[in-house]
Amino acid sequence: MLESLSALATPITMGILYGGLYVVIALGLSLVFGVMKVINVAHGDFVILGSYFAYVVLTSKGVDPVLSLGLGIPLFFIMGILIQKYLLYRAFKISTDAALIIAFGISLIIQNAAQLAWTPMSKSLQTGYSFKSFQVGDVYIPLVYLLDFIVAVIVVVVVHQFLQRTYLGQAITAASQDQQTAELMGINPATVYQYAFGIAIALAAVAGVFLGLTFPFNPISGVPFLIIAFGVIILGGLGSMVGTFIGGMIFGLSQSLGGHFWGPTGQLLVPFLMVLVILTIRPQGLFGR
Amino acid sequence: MGIVIRRYTPLIALGMVIAILAALPALGAPKTWLLYLIYFYIFLAAANMWNLLAGFSGLLALCPAAFIGLAGYTMTILTWLQVPYYVGLLAGGVVAALFSILISPSVFRMRGIYFAIGTLVVPEVLRLVFLRWRPVGGQLQGGGAGYMVKGVSGIPMQQTYWLGLAVGVASVLLIAFILRSKFGFGLAAIRDNDVSAASSGIDVFRLKLYSFIIAAFMTGVAGAIFFTYQGYIEPNSAFNIRWLMIVLLATVIGGKGIEEGPLVGTIIVVILHFQLARYADISLLIQGTILVVIMLAVPQGITGLVRDLRRAVAGRALLPTGNTSIFSFILSRRRKSHE
Repeated sequence: MLESLSALATPITMGILYGGLYVVIALGLSLVFGVMKVINVAHGDFVILGSYFAYVVLTSKGVDPVLSLGLGIPLFFIMGILIQKYLLYRAFKISTDAALIIAFGISLIIQNAAQLAWTPMSKSLQTGYSFKSFQVGDVYIPLVYLLDFIVAVIVVVVVHQFLQRTYLGQAITAASQDQQTAELMGINPATVYQYAFGIAIALAAVAGVFLGLTFPFNPISGVPFLIIAFGVIILGGLGSMVGTFIGGMIFGLSQSLGGHFWGPTGQLLVPFLMVLVILTIRPQGLFGR
Repeated sequence: MGIVIRRYTPLIALGMVIAILAALPALGAPKTWLLYLIYFYIFLAAANMWNLLAGFSGLLALCPAAFIGLAGYTMTILTWLQVPYYVGLLAGGVVAALFSILISPSVFRMRGIYFAIGTLVVPEVLRLVFLRWRPVGGQLQGGGAGYMVKGVSGIPMQQTYWLGLAVGVASVLLIAFILRSKFGFGLAAIRDNDVSAASSGIDVFRLKLYSFIIAAFMTGVAGAIFFTYQGYIEPNSAFNIRWLMIVLLATVIGGKGIEEGPLVGTIIVVILHFQLARYADISLLIQGTILVVIMLAVPQGITGLVRDLRRAVAGRALLPTGNTSIFSFILSRRRKSHE
């Protein structure tokens, strides 16, 4: 009994740590979902695009993936604003269904473009610290997993402060709480959508780098991350930072434990089934409004 | 007399088109034509059913691949148990319909975007389940969990062709029938405003469930026919998101929520499918771009555009054709004037 428990210590620790990745992905997804009430089904693909961006910078210039974010974050922010302005917002004015369909089209375009540019083969971000790990008790923890967790904490704090303290952040919060009242208070929804989407895509770039450091990735690996991040949102509730954080840890755990007990298919099957079950029990989220 | 002729002309024309299509194999049409048409019929049936869900019932169901894959697997497994494949086709449809009933209590609790994402997860779950689960023995039973469809190598192409034609025509007739029935009017009311539909005595849940089950059955049968043609099945292609892409593209290009929409859209999708086969590596890129451009430029689709143009030419506000009720028309007008 004790032995089996100590065998579980490793997957549990790992799950909690790389759950941080889901926190960062889910935050980007929920920013857009909050203000536009549209799930950006291409969000997972933007994350993978972030991984590829870091991969290109790493292999061609030898720049560390984490440092490459100095260029990646502004680049993805601008890309997000342009996509929102010229594609999604126009579709959004037609209907939310149209926006969802456009996002689906963007998702396929990114997947296919990534396949053309970088082949369908799996890639990973190999750095000097990729294989470093440290020991706590009986558990060996890879350094990158710890990084995932630390980054999640940093991102949650930064986004929270941004939403609380800056004018733009307050505008985004206001628009996601009550669109009409926000408009009456002089908030331009088009601008808010643009910034929210830009920030979401910039967060996708951050998530992409750490995803690439943690897991191998290929052009179509964005879809599972999208589904799990959606699960995190509905589990944690929209707009609740603590909820999102806990949700990310829980999905990280479900993935690592599913993998531990049922192998590679269980790794995705368990979190997917959890998403379905949570949706069934409480469609608007466990901690949602 | 004139009215009678005008009323029956479309029916007679439809009958003649079907008769000509049915006679094509006997007339010695080239194999490639038949192949194109088989794909056309199967995509048409699936697209019509997706239009029933997304266009007429307000259910943005992202799970046609679940019905197609399940029906395909049912048919394939039954052929291994010595059941004739044409029984398997129907059984596949029935299993898909039963599955839709099974998941309906959970997915129908979700609304709007939650429903869309909930249904998006379903084929992914099935894909993972079928990657693990190996129901019957067979030589293709590797890590991919693929199966040959047993005993279909001897089926002449004409037979698949006629099966495809049957399911394609059936889907067109079914939609025409539904839209002209009380059921169809109920659906239109739900699509336009489900709260006011419910308050006028329409059982929203039941109508949505019916169209979900009907769509599951028909999509399943069409998918199973596809796999008798293909001759093998494996989870990654059976539950692939490309099925969704096909029905989405066909419906959106043609016109979502318009009866003739999928018919027009599917013609374009099939042409694209075969023309892009040469450029398989950029096929999704092109299809995705077309989807985005059409959705932004002509959100009402080709048939919707034609309808709008005709209305503009006529120069007066005609009532919309098809099933839309006069009330929903007035409402939509008023909504527009508010914006």
